[in-house]
Amino acid sequence: MRGGLSLRPTYYEALRRLTLQLAGVQMGSDHAFLVETRLSQLARKEGYETLDAMIEDLFAVGQARLAVHVVSALVERDTHFNRDPASLDALFDTALPDLVEKRGGGRIDLLSYGCGSGQDLYSIAIRARHAAARAMLAPVDLHLKGVDYPSQALERARTGRYTHFEIQRGLSARDMIAHFTPDPVADSTDWLAAAHLRETVKFQDMHLLSGTQEAEAFHVVLFRGAIGQYGHAARIRVIRTLAKLLRPHGYLVTGSDEDLGEIHPGLEKVESAPGLYRRRVVQQEPAPVIGKPPPGRTTFEPPVARRAHG
Amino acid sequence: MAHCCLIVDRSAMVRRVAARIVRELDFEITEAQTGREALDSCAAQVPHVVLLDWKSADMEAQGFIESLRDLASRQGVSMPTVLFCTAERSVDRIVAALKAGADEYIMKPFDSDIITAKFALAGLLSRDRTCAAA
Repeated sequence: MRGGLSLRPTYYEALRRLTLQLAGVQMGSDHAFLVETRLSQLARKEGYETLDAMIEDLFAVGQARLAVHVVSALVERDTHFNRDPASLDALFDTALPDLVEKRGGGRIDLLSYGCGSGQDLYSIAIRARHAAARAMLAPVDLHLKGVDYPSQALERARTGRYTHFEIQRGLSARDMIAHFTPDPVADSTDWLAAAHLRETVKFQDMHLLSGTQEAEAFHVVLFRGAIGQYGHAARIRVIRTLAKLLRPHGYLVTGSDEDLGEIHPGLEKVESAPGLYRRRVVQQEPAPVIGKPPPGRTTFEPPVARRAHG
Repeated sequence: MAHCCLIVDRSAMVRRVAARIVRELDFEITEAQTGREALDSCAAQVPHVVLLDWKSADMEAQGFIESLRDLASRQGVSMPTVLFCTAERSVDRIVAALKAGADEYIMKPFDSDIITAKFALAGLLSRDRTCAAA
């Protein structure tokens, strides 16, 4: 069954186009194996006899729901607990203390954008408890929310269920037994997030490229290790969406080795904190200039100032 | 200079798999089948790391770790980092192992991601250690 890749080459091409259209993600040609293993799993779960049957159905019938599930299975990234600790240090040593000080405590909302199977968010919840226990962070009402495409990964995040392998990647034995319990079901080797951990996190499905319709805003938005997979146009769109999700004084946490380059509307890099960006407070996000500038505007003076003259 | 890791497991297969992974992390490997054999090996040279299947140790975790501490202090070297690596996954056993002085706990089966992650958590991947008695 594993002998070779069974899917027709034209389907790969079609899947690649679909992934780019729907998620803005550029799938490499090395994805063939990933396509087979991940989509085979999905096909079984969706009740198809074979992977081919599901793909045929996908392109023949064009179900939107199935398309989203296929694409989110394809773009899911392998992750683990406490991934990229340097960027979590930036969050805990720079961003959160600053927000706590500016706001004088109170509620802080953090969004994990593209949360996948949720390890980032649970890692932050655990780290926040450590920080509070060591009194390094004033008692802070940290609300954690993760959004991603509807997928099996997001379902796992919601239930806080991790396999024997996942639970041991990046999580210390002490944290594992303090915040997770072995699945009581016989023969299962999964671990389940304890109630005290689960009640601090919330997960919701969302189409990442379309952004959110809600007028929600966050003090911190986490977007780590994903920027590289977006094509240029999608990248601009995503960063714009992220900047809009931030409250004044809010922080964007990217991977410690990631750089948004020149495309960061309304964001400024925080020096000395790898991967950390702060929302510019004074400057408003400029409207995108399409074609010619509006007539009558020859300077960049704000409209209020011009009215004062007239 | 290379860092040393002693792998203690009854199963030759497990030792071979673990050795291959740990060698990739730039450690020199010594092997032992039982706790007694492990302590004999440590009497000659205390390693930096002990990866121990405690079922193979044929002695209590507590006793093994105490003997190890004695040997280290007698040789004037620092206590090795001890990672337990067993098929036992009950919370009680993990708590007992950590109480006895284990630095980390790995549940079998493991893969290279898990071993690497646990070595990192135990602070073993920073490159500032050298073999004590080498």
